[in-house]
Amino acid sequence: MRLLRMFLVQTKANFVWYFRRDGEMMFWTLAMPVFFLVLFSFAFSSGPNSGSSRFLVPGIIGAQVLSSGFWGVGVMLATFREKHLLRRIYITPMPPWVFFASLVVYRMALLAAQATILVTVGALVFHVRIIGNPLSILAILLLGTATFVSLGTIIGALARTTESANNIASILTVPLAFLSDAYVPIDRFPHAVSSALRMLPSTQFIDTFRDVSVYGASLTHYGAWIGMLVLWTIAGTVISARTFRWV
Amino acid sequence: MIRREAPDAVADRAIVVTALIKRYGELDAVAGITFSVPRGTVFGLLGRNGAGKTTTLECCIGIGRPTAGSVRVLGLDPTKRRELSALRPRIGVQLQATSLPEKANVREVLELYAAYYGIASRAAEMAERVGLDGKLDRQIAQMSGGEQQRLALALALQHDPEVLFLDEPTAGMDAFGRRILWGEVERLRDGGKTIVLTTHYIEEAERLSDRICIIQRGRIVAEAAPADLVARHGGDATVSIAADGFAPDAALQALGVWTRTGAQWKLATRGEPGLALAAVVTHANALGAKIASLDMHRPTLEDAFIAITGETIEETG
Repeated sequence: MRLLRMFLVQTKANFVWYFRRDGEMMFWTLAMPVFFLVLFSFAFSSGPNSGSSRFLVPGIIGAQVLSSGFWGVGVMLATFREKHLLRRIYITPMPPWVFFASLVVYRMALLAAQATILVTVGALVFHVRIIGNPLSILAILLLGTATFVSLGTIIGALARTTESANNIASILTVPLAFLSDAYVPIDRFPHAVSSALRMLPSTQFIDTFRDVSVYGASLTHYGAWIGMLVLWTIAGTVISARTFRWV
Repeated sequence: MIRREAPDAVADRAIVVTALIKRYGELDAVAGITFSVPRGTVFGLLGRNGAGKTTTLECCIGIGRPTAGSVRVLGLDPTKRRELSALRPRIGVQLQATSLPEKANVREVLELYAAYYGIASRAAEMAERVGLDGKLDRQIAQMSGGEQQRLALALALQHDPEVLFLDEPTAGMDAFGRRILWGEVERLRDGGKTIVLTTHYIEEAERLSDRICIIQRGRIVAEAAPADLVARHGGDATVSIAADGFAPDAALQALGVWTRTGAQWKLATRGEPGLALAAVVTHANALGAKIASLDMHRPTLEDAFIAITGETIEETG
C-alpha cells in the first residue's frame, strides 16, 4: 500500500510537473509528431491513400518510442542529477525501482496519447487502418519502450552534464530515426546497407511494430528480433543499474 | 539483525564519526575527522566554505562514501545498503541549495514527500510552521531562494525524524527565514531531537549549538561548547578609556594588565569586564577626569575562531 501510494503520487507529479504545466513539452510531445506525419506524407507521396502514410504512422510512433527513451528518460535523468533533484530523492526512503517505474509509466502514458493522436490523424486524413491484433501491438510497443528506456537510462547514467546527455541523445535519435525505417524505407539503400541496418534494435522494433500494426502480421514471425530486443533490454538494464549515479 | 559497533555508544550517541577521510583525486576534502554527537543535542560544524563540512555531512547521510574511517548514525552504517535503508526514514536532511522541480507547488511537494515516508500529508501545518502559509499553491519557480530554503526545511521535518542534518540552512535566507529556522532548531532540540548543522555564520553556530566543532582544511582544529571555546581561545576582555588626567590606581591595576597609547588607556582583564568598566568610570569621576571615549570588548566566538584558525571565517582575499 505504502509503495503503491508512493508510486501513484510520484507518477502523477511527473505528469503534472513535467508535462501538463510545461507548454513547450506538450507541443513537442503532441504537436510535432503530427506535423512530421503531415509533412512527410505530402513530401514523400502523391497524396492521401498512397502507401507512405501507412508507412509513416507506425514509423513516427516508433521514432517517438526512441526519443522517449533517449530524451524523455535519459536526458531527464541527467537534468535531474545536475539540478540536484536525484540527490534529494536518494535521501528519502523511496526505493529506486519505484522512482524508475514511475518515470517509465509516465512516458508510456505520453506514448499512448501520442499514438492515439497519430493513429486518429492517420485514419481521418490519410485513411490508414490499424488492422493488427491489439494485444500484439500493445506487447511490441511495451517491449520497445522497455528497450529504449533501458538504453536511454545508460545515457542518463554516464553523461556528466545535461549538455552532454543532450548531445548524446541528439547524435543517437536523429540519425537512428532516419536509418531505422521510421521516416524513409531503408530498402532504398543498397542491400548490404539495409541488411546491416536491420541489425539495429531500433530497426527491428520499428519494422516489427509496423508489420504487426498496419499489415496485420503475426508476432510469431518476429521471434528472433523480439529475442534480440529482450536481450538489449536486459543489457541496458544491467548496465544502467551498475553505472547509475545519484550524485 | 543489524550489527552494532559498540552498544553503549549507540545508547547515548546519535552520531559517531571515527577517523573519517574523504579524498577527491589528490585532495583530502576531509582529512581524518573524529567526533560524536550525544542524542538530543545540537552539533555545529563551523568553518570556511570548502573546509570539508558538507563532505562530512554527506558521508553521514549516505551520499558520500568515506575513503577511510567509519560513520555510524543511530548505530547504523550509511555505507551499507540495508542499514542506509533502515536509516533513511529516521533522518531529515536539508541540503545546501536544494533544487525542487520548478513547476511543482508547495502543497504537491509536501504531499509527495509525505508519500515517500508513508505518512499522512501535513502540507498546511508544515507550510505554516515555516512561514509559507497562504503559499500552498505557489510554484517553486515563483518563490524566492529563501522561501525555497524554508520549504526544504519543511521537507526535512515533515516526517518527524530523530536526527536532522542541516547543511548551511540559512544561506540565502533573510532575517525572517533565519528567525524561523533558529526557532525550529531550538524547538526540536527541546523535543529531544539530535541536530547537526554546518554553517559559516559564527552567530548562528554560537546561538544554536550545544557543541561547536571548528573545521579547517578537512581537519578539526577545536571542539567544545561555544562558551568554552570563547573562554579558552577568545583572549582577554578589554576596557579602554581616554580621559584627561586619568591614570589607573593600585585597585584598578590589580584587575589586569594596563597599556597606554597616547591618551588611551587599555585594560586587558580575565575578570568580568562590566565590573571593571564600572570601576574605571568611578575612578575617572573621582579624579575629575573628563571622559572623551570609553569602550568595553568582551571576547567573542569570532575572536576565538581567529585565534584558533589564524584567519577570519569570511575569505577577505
